[in-house]
Amino acid sequence: MREETRREAVWQFLTYAFVIVGAILTMVPLYWIFVASTLRESEFLSSTDPRLLPGDSFLANFQSLQARENVQFVGEPGQMTQFVDLGPIYFAYDFWHLWDMGAIESSIFIAVVYTLLSLVLCSMAGFAFAKYEFRFKKPIFYAILATLILPIQLLVIPLFLLMSQIGLTNSYWAIILPWAANPLGIFLMRQNMQSIPDALLESARMDGATEFQLYYKIALPTMKSSLAALAIILFLFQWNLFLFPLVILEQGKYTIPVAINQLVGAQRVYYDQIMVAATLSVIPIFVLFLFLQKQFVSGILAGSVKE
Amino acid sequence: MATQDSTVPAGPSLADRVRFVRQSLSHRLPNAGEGVVGYLFLVPAFLLFGVFLAFPILYTFYLSFFRFEGVSNETILWIDTGFFSYRLTRIADLEFVGLSNYTAMFADTLFHQALFNTTFILVVQVPLMVLFALLFAVALNASFVKFRGVFRTVLALPVSANLVAYSTVFLLMMQDAGLVNYVLTSLGLPSIPWLTSSFWSRMTIVGAVTWRWTGYNMIILLAGLQNVPQQLYEAAEIDGAGRWEKFRYVTVPQLRPVLLFVFVTSTIGTFKLFSEPVIINGGGAPLDSTITIVQYIYQTAFIDFRLGYASALTYVLIAVVSVLSAVQLRVGGESDA
Repeated sequence: MREETRREAVWQFLTYAFVIVGAILTMVPLYWIFVASTLRESEFLSSTDPRLLPGDSFLANFQSLQARENVQFVGEPGQMTQFVDLGPIYFAYDFWHLWDMGAIESSIFIAVVYTLLSLVLCSMAGFAFAKYEFRFKKPIFYAILATLILPIQLLVIPLFLLMSQIGLTNSYWAIILPWAANPLGIFLMRQNMQSIPDALLESARMDGATEFQLYYKIALPTMKSSLAALAIILFLFQWNLFLFPLVILEQGKYTIPVAINQLVGAQRVYYDQIMVAATLSVIPIFVLFLFLQKQFVSGILAGSVKE
Repeated sequence: MATQDSTVPAGPSLADRVRFVRQSLSHRLPNAGEGVVGYLFLVPAFLLFGVFLAFPILYTFYLSFFRFEGVSNETILWIDTGFFSYRLTRIADLEFVGLSNYTAMFADTLFHQALFNTTFILVVQVPLMVLFALLFAVALNASFVKFRGVFRTVLALPVSANLVAYSTVFLLMMQDAGLVNYVLTSLGLPSIPWLTSSFWSRMTIVGAVTWRWTGYNMIILLAGLQNVPQQLYEAAEIDGAGRWEKFRYVTVPQLRPVLLFVFVTSTIGTFKLFSEPVIINGGGAPLDSTITIVQYIYQTAFIDFRLGYASALTYVLIAVVSVLSAVQLRVGGESDA
């Protein structure tokens, strides 16, 4: 018995050690983003004795970020780096300037309309896949799922050609419509809606509810947390989209990432400014993540785990 | 049960009859409306999906049989990014070349390199990440561990980190005189050329991707673990199973569908790898040892303007990923997923 408890103690110690080391390793890069943003560039770059504690240059870095006229993100001129999805890292940039350019309104309009439209489409399609039988259900579902394989970057050219054929270039709808029937969203909704009991739908049906009422009076209310999680995913996806808006939109309609790209010059890499921007872009998302974590995770998971 | 029949001669009670009707109805439920309703719910999504996603994807297939390099004078798209300007010309320039876009790949050494790099990263990264995710999930599912919620949150936090931010910080940490080598040398270990050797630069990518996605997969596996019936463990314990046997014969088989999900999505994700090599390795340095397939296709389409060839490459990518996913599903033994 003593042997037993000793082994148990060793086991618990090992488990703790593993988890704690993992958590520390996970935190190091995050910590380093914050620390680097408070140091001068020379202090965190090419130093054989790196400073591990925060310094006092955060404000100076922030001011140089705001004053900057030429920031190139990463890499050498001529490389394709400017097409990397820059996303919310730009949050810290010249906010008022973006407002002048109408970029903020553009981004908000596109993301909000896209999210709402996509929620409706995905939940309806998910409801159909989860709760109805019809011919070719599986092939259709797998065809939709298969498009998840394709990186967005590769769809830009054919999508642009299509949009120019139907006269939708330089229109917000050109950005809203293509991923409105978001395959990931349809998948998540279908998986989650499978958990709605058939008996519930059936008793509503016996009470005289129409099929559409089943969808918006029963399915939607029970799917609240999944819909919230999906809304976050869809909004961030659209908010961060860079390459496709860049191709489709013209000046005056730019979204935030595209508008900022116009401000980017080709001098050299200013890591201090990048780290400030990174810190500022990471903090709100971390806070959001900490607050919404439970709901977000359970909303996603209800689906991915079934089957 | 059978003995009760003789004591209740009045036949099934009202409640039983209602339950029976309910049951027979719920058996019929899947066929309600004979399928038309299902289609009606699908129509809006399917219209948009068909027009704006399926069509472009098929159109890409069509383009893959053409030489399409944009040589006419009529510009239909003009982008000026500050680094270079990009011009797309009319589709009229198409020239049918049959399969030659596909056959050209056999001689394309850069494509072979990209395929090798991606496969290398995939083979190292996915098993490593899934293993860690599984171990963390099992550890954080153990009831004796305190602050489980805190640990889960910390481990999952990297998913929310911005792509450029985390790639840049890896670029900084992995410099020759960066943080990681500083730690290694102060422990008396040799420093490692993380960004300048072709092997280690790939490992840097592996590390970065693993760092970002392990927590995410851990959460999925954790949810799977919570669905494993506790009785199975109790039964195993009665049979005298130790910790390893329980893990081997209860946890892993019960988690198989979830593990499969994690494997397939991770494989697809790694094949889509694009931004990390671009930021951390400046688009493939050293010596193209980190250039990935998507990055190469991208370069072919947007920098070399060889759109037909890029389309063909896209379809090879689709084929490879589909075959791999199918193999994983088959090996995972879930043919009717």
